[in-house]
Amino acid sequence: MTKRFKFSNLYLLVVFIILYAPILFLIAFSFSEGDSMSHFQGFTLSHYSALLRDSRLIIIVLQTLLIALLSSLFATIIGTLGALGINQTSRTITRNTILSFNNILIVSPDVIIGASFLIFFTALQLPLGFSTVLLSHIAFSIPIVVLMVLPKLRELGTSMVSAAADLGATNWQILSKIVFPFITPGILSGFFMALTYSLDDFAVTFFVTGNGFSTLSVEIYSRARQGISLEINALSGVLFVFSLLLVVGYYFLNQYQQSRKLKRTTREEDIL
Amino acid sequence: MAQPIVKLNHVSKSYGDSTVLKDINLELEAGKFYTLLGPSGSGKTTILQTISGFTSVDAGDVYFDGQRINELPPNRRKVNTVFQDYALFPNMNVFDNVAFGLTLQNVKKAEITRRVTSALKSVHLNGYGNREISELSGGQKQRVAIARAIIMEPKMLLLDEPLSALDAKLRRDMQYELRELQQRLGITFLFITHDQEEALAMSDEIFVMNDGVILQSGTPVDIYDEPINHFVANFIGESNILNGVMREDYVVEFVGKRFECEDAGMRPNEPVEVVMRPEDLTITTVENGKLVVTIDTQLFRGDYYEIAATDDDGNEWLIHSTNSVPDNSRVGVTFAPNDIHVMRFNESEEDFDARLETYETDD
Ligand SMILES: Nc1ncnc2c1ncn2[C@@H]1O[C@H](COP(=O)(O)OP(=O)(O)OP(=O)(O)O)[C@@H](O)[C@H]1O
Ligand SMILES: [Mg+2]
Repeated sequence: MTKRFKFSNLYLLVVFIILYAPILFLIAFSFSEGDSMSHFQGFTLSHYSALLRDSRLIIIVLQTLLIALLSSLFATIIGTLGALGINQTSRTITRNTILSFNNILIVSPDVIIGASFLIFFTALQLPLGFSTVLLSHIAFSIPIVVLMVLPKLRELGTSMVSAAADLGATNWQILSKIVFPFITPGILSGFFMALTYSLDDFAVTFFVTGNGFSTLSVEIYSRARQGISLEINALSGVLFVFSLLLVVGYYFLNQYQQSRKLKRTTREEDIL
Repeated sequence: MAQPIVKLNHVSKSYGDSTVLKDINLELEAGKFYTLLGPSGSGKTTILQTISGFTSVDAGDVYFDGQRINELPPNRRKVNTVFQDYALFPNMNVFDNVAFGLTLQNVKKAEITRRVTSALKSVHLNGYGNREISELSGGQKQRVAIARAIIMEPKMLLLDEPLSALDAKLRRDMQYELRELQQRLGITFLFITHDQEEALAMSDEIFVMNDGVILQSGTPVDIYDEPINHFVANFIGESNILNGVMREDYVVEFVGKRFECEDAGMRPNEPVEVVMRPEDLTITTVENGKLVVTIDTQLFRGDYYEIAATDDDGNEWLIHSTNSVPDNSRVGVTFAPNDIHVMRFNESEEDFDARLETYETDD
């Protein structure tokens, strides 16, 4: 028994090393003097200071975040309304058709979506840049939000809605007091999924962005083609620590909420 | 009779090809406890929904308090429903669930607190206001659902099989409580069940349904003692149902013998069905018996023995007796003329009532 336990631990360790080694390798070299990743040449923070002085890169980081926040916000609103609409359709055929169209957008390769957006925007003669990137990010995020919200709506069912109407709630009151509070977890996870998809996206953005506007993934790609500078490594290091902090923060937030809930119920039991 | 609080007038409803309600006529008086009783799929919930507004009728009129409400949406109808699955709001605690309807009407905080407290009290849940819904037992959830509905002070409460998810003991307790609550509040209850004992125990009046039709309505005693047809007789309680012939008024022939009975108003020699309740049959000696049967099996039911027996012609009988009888023994069975109930084939409820009028006036 103990033997097997050790083996599974070992397995886990190996997997994590394989997953994290490239990232750690990258970050390690961000502290290296010199300009390439061929040899480690002594400790320095110069790449980080170069990063801070590189205002173009910082602006691009901010643009990427702005696009991600805006697009996931709009996608969440539109996607949630869409999910409500799909949930309302009474005929199963209609609903399944809409859902299939929704899923096709998620499954189809980014390259194809990017190319078709490019054709679409040029046909409309929209200037490529911030607005086209934003529009396309909103578009590919909507199906994700729909997919996250619909199961919660299913779970809600009809009887609670009927009960609210029975007690005199108008359609708006039903939506705001019953439906939205119930599906909020779905909406939130839809929002965060959309956020990560937008931050991650390379292919679609690559197609629809124009001169003077870039996101981080596209920028890194174009710099990497000219041979990677260790400034990128420094940026990766910063981003990695940032996401690590996010995950840790999320974990503690969860812990805090759970312990509060637990406390409240035990307190009530004391009273009763 | 005073103006009915609810009246359904020739109401019909279909889903696609299947007709779920067929020309339903029904009147409910204020302040009574009514029960809709019928097997699964007979249309009970659908009738309830035509009153609460969640189903629109295809034909006919729905009146509430004298006003036609066919087009009125559910949130503007002055009835409230206790749903079969409770439909409590999981994101609110007990207090907020019960207060929900009042908060929508912008009632003052102090008033809400007062009324929620009294509603919770009337369902014996004082002090449960801060509980989460997930921390309640089935019976407690049921009570919260009732409190949430009665706090609206509706003129009428619709209850869709509210007790079906409870265990037998709790169910009996809740039957008493519901009946007592209805009498205390003095509002009309329309209660759905497919449990005939529950219907008999609780109701002022029962509507027996099958296949989208109301077969019979009446007090529990009427329906039990004078079922209109085979279905009702079978559905309400256990019974012995035999084919017979009405020889003349007050004389019916079955199992090859003629018996005095208390039914009349039929054609001479009309084929009929005869109903006899197991508890109306009394076991006696072979000499004193109107029938002679052989005991097959018996089951002890706590307050009586349920005895299965066969007579000499091969008809099977079900008899309830307080005393045990040896298996395979031959015994006599006796009964009084008023223990026999004669049913005509395909008689409608109006015809049945009209026929009773013709000869029951003299008692
Ligand atoms: N929305 C609907 N669409 C199609 N058919 C329906 C719908 N609602 C009810 N029915 C049908 O109408 C018939 C009556 O349904 P109803 O719910 O009134 O039965 P019920 O007497 O309440 O049964 P139960 O005791 O099982 O609750 C059933 O045959 C059911 O299949
Ligand atoms: Mg039902």
